[in-house]
Amino acid sequence: MREMKIPFVDLARQYRALRTELHATLDEVGHSGVYIMGERLEAFERKAASFCGTRHAIGVANGSDAIFLVLKALGIGAGDEVITCPNSFIATAWTIVAAGAKPVFVDAAEDMNIDTAKIERAITSRTRAIVPIHLTGRPAAMAPVQALTQRHGLAVIEDAAQAIGARYQGKRVGGLGTAGCFSLHPLKNLGVYGDGGLITTDDDALADTLRRLRNHGLRNRDECAQWGFNSRLDPLQAAFAELKLHHLDAWNQRCREIASQYRAALAPQIQVPVDSPDEECVYHNFVIRTPQRDALRDHLAARGVDTRVHYPIPIHLQDAARDLGYREGDFPNVERFARTMISLPIFPELTDEEVAYVATSVTSFFERSRQPAEVGAAA
Amino acid sequence: MHLVRNFLPEQYEQTNPLAINHNYLPQQFADVDAILAKVREVVVRGDFTLGRAVDKLEARIAALCGTRHAVGMGSGTDALFLTLKALGIGPGDEVITTPFTFYATVGAIVTAGAKPVFADAGLDCNLDAAQIEARITARTKAILPVHWSGLPCDMDAINAIARRHNLAVVEDACHAITATYKGRPAGSLGTAGCFSFHPLKNLNVWGDGGIMTTNDDALADQLRLLRNHGLVGRDECRVFAYNSRLDTVQAVVADHLLDKLDHISGRRIENARRYDELLSDVRGVTMPERSAHLSHVYHLYVIRCERRDELARHLQSQEVDAKVHYPVPMHLQPAAEFLGHQRGDFPVAEALAGSVLSLPVHEFVTEAQQRHVANLIRAFYA
Repeated sequence: MREMKIPFVDLARQYRALRTELHATLDEVGHSGVYIMGERLEAFERKAASFCGTRHAIGVANGSDAIFLVLKALGIGAGDEVITCPNSFIATAWTIVAAGAKPVFVDAAEDMNIDTAKIERAITSRTRAIVPIHLTGRPAAMAPVQALTQRHGLAVIEDAAQAIGARYQGKRVGGLGTAGCFSLHPLKNLGVYGDGGLITTDDDALADTLRRLRNHGLRNRDECAQWGFNSRLDPLQAAFAELKLHHLDAWNQRCREIASQYRAALAPQIQVPVDSPDEECVYHNFVIRTPQRDALRDHLAARGVDTRVHYPIPIHLQDAARDLGYREGDFPNVERFARTMISLPIFPELTDEEVAYVATSVTSFFERSRQPAEVGAAA
Repeated sequence: MHLVRNFLPEQYEQTNPLAINHNYLPQQFADVDAILAKVREVVVRGDFTLGRAVDKLEARIAALCGTRHAVGMGSGTDALFLTLKALGIGPGDEVITTPFTFYATVGAIVTAGAKPVFADAGLDCNLDAAQIEARITARTKAILPVHWSGLPCDMDAINAIARRHNLAVVEDACHAITATYKGRPAGSLGTAGCFSFHPLKNLNVWGDGGIMTTNDDALADQLRLLRNHGLVGRDECRVFAYNSRLDTVQAVVADHLLDKLDHISGRRIENARRYDELLSDVRGVTMPERSAHLSHVYHLYVIRCERRDELARHLQSQEVDAKVHYPVPMHLQPAAEFLGHQRGDFPVAEALAGSVLSLPVHEFVTEAQQRHVANLIRAFYA
């Protein structure tokens, strides 16, 4: 087989495809003179709300701020606890700490999302919210989460940073809880050219509070209703996001197609992320697991295939988490995943030929090493 | 309808070409192609967050301010907020500032968990150094002077107080890039300086952006940690922190405009001097005192005037975009209710809020337009 170089991600391919439209947009926003808030932001917000099937969408500076501001808007702070999963990007946890609350972790299930069977025993009288993460673009098991939160009167904040467009039981993520939080970071399925984020909600009062909090707590130019933050989505980035939103379903579909190709090539000898009818994953990442993770990564790197690990150190074992009092062994699934998972290249512009090359490179490793692949189902 | 609107059209509305707008951005970016070419390089390289252009801008701003470090941030507000956090200021602490400022100054203190303690402003619109010491308690951790409108505060006096009481000094220099105090640039006059690149600032970008300057290596390191999720390397999180980065494409815009900053500030200073002359003998208008050891960069050109609201309405009706920055001082905002202040607590700030008016002073205001504005004001008081 011919040697190929497969990047983990190549944003310039998308740029080349959209070049003319992007230039026109940049020029238009540049000439408008409106670089904060404004009609371009509102237009994107309307389209994003309609895309997610929610009453409101609110642009913010980044996906982390989306979670942070929702916690603040819900009045969650000192003395409160928020339940989430330590298999995530650290922003899921720091936003809770930054809001003044305490993150309480629950182990992940085999799908790598929060294990809903373990949530209830983590609930205390101080628990105010659950933050399920739709990791890699796979919706968390929201029906059990919703049942629990109804029973205990808790808010549900979806960390949908990696999952824009994904569906759970036919419904888009972002509309499955009290609020949905999205990242528009350049590497996301809907990515802009810098930091950006989005909050979706059906709650009118929450939406109004969020619109104030992101803009200095201002009710209008001269009246400050509460001390707030500055966390606005630039209209320039909103205009890019709006343009790209038109392509998002097609891009997500292509990622799902690539995932199917990986599945067809790697299964059954390698266990791959399963596609359940309830959970329409948009494959922000395609994660497989093997105890020989580092050897496989080296093998793939030698063949020109770039891979990543999302994420090698679980949040509860980060230095930053030392005050939370967790230790190794507390969340065995998450810790096992951290040692064994590996993300293969997946982005819409990846060609079938490149996908086949990656898949062959993976299978050749296991044929060579004759290692039975304990490659578990991954999200 | 939302209770809170995104878009405040009056801020951006384009009217006839003779009108004098507060917003000059379409003119500033009339020739946008040079920037677009540089933005294209970023997009092709793909370093959208904390990319090469951010490094370059940080080095240039540090050189401009004469500090060892400059750290790009998501906004001027975040620069203030995260600097306070990086200094370890939080619940139980007090920070002294002026009530005559923009909301973000106070918002940053409150959101850091500390208590804002106000000291009255002077007639120069800046924090009155003579009012500070009476406000210091055992809990005071920092003084936050605001270089309002681009005029540096009396930093020798403020720094002397800070040294005496072992306090940090965080400059809110959001209005004041390239302003100097006794020849030393804003941003280098305290423990740290915080700047905004909001579109209407003297040095601006195409959205939100900010930067913090300091000579303190440890503080700069801490801020670099706090702005990027507390990460050291890709996978190791040292502290739970925040996400507040200056976008690479915005750094490109700022870097491009930095070459023109001397011209931008120069034009504002020139226009301000002309207003000073044109308005010096107008009854009803009080000109702020000008001091030789302060270089004022006139982010705003502020006069105090009688029947202010009436004059403002009159000028606006003549399509002169005069603005009030700001009519309600911070201690009387609904958000400040928990501090228990009342009218009369800060008489100078209240008098300023009732009398200040900002006249368009940006680089695109012409001499003819200024004469027109002065004539309108003279006629109003005649």
